Amino acid sequence: MDTRTMFTNLLAAEWLKISRRPMALLLLGIFLFLTFLQQTLWFLVVALQEGTFSGGQVTFNLLSPAAIEQIKRQLSLPGVFGAMLSAINGTGGILAIILTAGIFGSDFNWGTLRILLTRAPHRGAYLLAKLVALQLALLVAIIITLAMGTLLALLFGTILGLPQQIGIIDLLLLPIGILRALIVMLPYTLIAGASAIVGRSVIAGVGGGLIFLAFDVSAGSLNTIGAVDPMIRALVNLLLQPNINRLVVENSRMFGLDQSVLTAALDLSLLPPQWQALIVIAVYSAIFGYSAYRTLNRQDIGGAN
Amino acid sequence: MNAIETIDLTKRYGKRLAVDRLNLTVGKGEVFGFLGPNGAGKTTTIAMLLGLVRPTKGQAIVLGHDVQREPALALRRVGAMIEAPAFYPYLSGADNLRVLARAGGIPAARVKEVLETVELNDRARDKVATYSQGMKQRLAIAAALLPDPELIMLDEPTNGLDPAGTVEIRNLIRSLAAGGRTILLCSHLLHEVEQLCNRVAILKEGKLIAAGEVATLLRRGQGVRLRVQGNPEPAVHLLRTLPWVSGVTVQEEAIIIDAPVERAAEINALLIRADIVVAEIGANHSSLEEFFLTVTRTE
Repeated sequence: MDTRTMFTNLLAAEWLKISRRPMALLLLGIFLFLTFLQQTLWFLVVALQEGTFSGGQVTFNLLSPAAIEQIKRQLSLPGVFGAMLSAINGTGGILAIILTAGIFGSDFNWGTLRILLTRAPHRGAYLLAKLVALQLALLVAIIITLAMGTLLALLFGTILGLPQQIGIIDLLLLPIGILRALIVMLPYTLIAGASAIVGRSVIAGVGGGLIFLAFDVSAGSLNTIGAVDPMIRALVNLLLQPNINRLVVENSRMFGLDQSVLTAALDLSLLPPQWQALIVIAVYSAIFGYSAYRTLNRQDIGGAN
Repeated sequence: MNAIETIDLTKRYGKRLAVDRLNLTVGKGEVFGFLGPNGAGKTTTIAMLLGLVRPTKGQAIVLGHDVQREPALALRRVGAMIEAPAFYPYLSGADNLRVLARAGGIPAARVKEVLETVELNDRARDKVATYSQGMKQRLAIAAALLPDPELIMLDEPTNGLDPAGTVEIRNLIRSLAAGGRTILLCSHLLHEVEQLCNRVAILKEGKLIAAGEVATLLRRGQGVRLRVQGNPEPAVHLLRTLPWVSGVTVQEEAIIIDAPVERAAEINALLIRADIVVAEIGANHSSLEEFFLTVTRTE
């Protein structure tokens, strides 16, 4: 059996495992619930500010007009696409780290890795199959989230009287947005997978992924001081977070949103250009992916932990 | 061509030598017992044969292919069950096998066949988390049978099984062997190994301390057993003076002599000449268990 056939076989096996895994369904359920809450909150904020429930009689001044305008766009088509993709790269990213750690680590915890590797002993093919199956699972989750978000936007937008305009261009841009969202999650899933392999457990994967995320987000917030000095900005922009933010902002802008209205760190003037973002993310992903491969390839595989 | 061949196979974990220059051959069609006390290096050896553990030195050749260089070719027709059964608890027994079948490019139809072989069809759709230890054990054997293996490595296959289950698995191993498959069997149940295996190897602290055909090894452990009328001490004293007797012990009034069985008549004549009445004399048959205990204690 050549490596390519082995990869295809392993991918089919990994897909069967992920698609039946209660943890994957649970995490998707949690994410959809959180997204539902977020959209409902946006709806309530706009409805209260504009007095929708009282026919304009009672209004609350909760946010600036610019912020309210932004939220309205997030509840309308096509802006909801950008909002959902942004949520996927926020809360969804954390859940993706947990899912990745589960997928990579449980083969060590349950001792199933040794059975799989005796059937398909190419460890690189095993790793790649797991990664591709994970990306496919994330793709399915993104599509479901976009569908739910769109339905809720149609419901809330109708109540709020928001215009819903979607063109063929928006639909054509959607796959690009989905691809960007997957690229944004890639380095985090890879560091979670690598940590699970190094620590030979789910908990090591979750720990490694979340610690890196926390460090990265903290370090990334330094980009606000980049406004003071271009040299500092250039250095900070070599960290992962500003580059991730760039792609997230691009996704929002593509669907008519301006994230900097709600989050100062997403000010486009401080973020690196998109080409740099793609290169930096690719380099981080390659480092994490190679670390995972090298570690697994050198490991002695024992029984269950 | 041998089914398994190891050449100076060595595995070191830090300062601990788990397997020390192991040279072993298992011929095709053999049922080979791989024995040793806990921590002797049996599982590490099997893991090296399966490409899961990298040898520090030496070579493992399975079905004619070097496991390190050509793992896919070496393991294509190898089925294995190592230590405790390991499965995805959230999947059914059948789905667990489907995962392995897909991973190995094995036709899905084999899943049903092997489930029938281990008689797990009735519970195939239940989640593995609900299985008893014995059922998991049988599912692990089913997993080992998936690739229609030429060589099967079974590490403690009857662990956790009730007596009826043990007999079933023993019969299954017999039928697999009868079909011409090579079987490497690790078991602490030595009477099981004695019944099933043609040849055995005994490992202790990573070193091979005995290997050969079961019948030959048992002959090595054979001696002469006799009973005399009255006090056995004069007989013991006399027998210890013979140059070809390597040991004499008294066990429950019987005298056990470490000497070739062929010398039984000579012993009888000597004792009669010394006015010692021999009440009973014959071969002292040792079991594999006794042989195992003797060599693992003394070597």
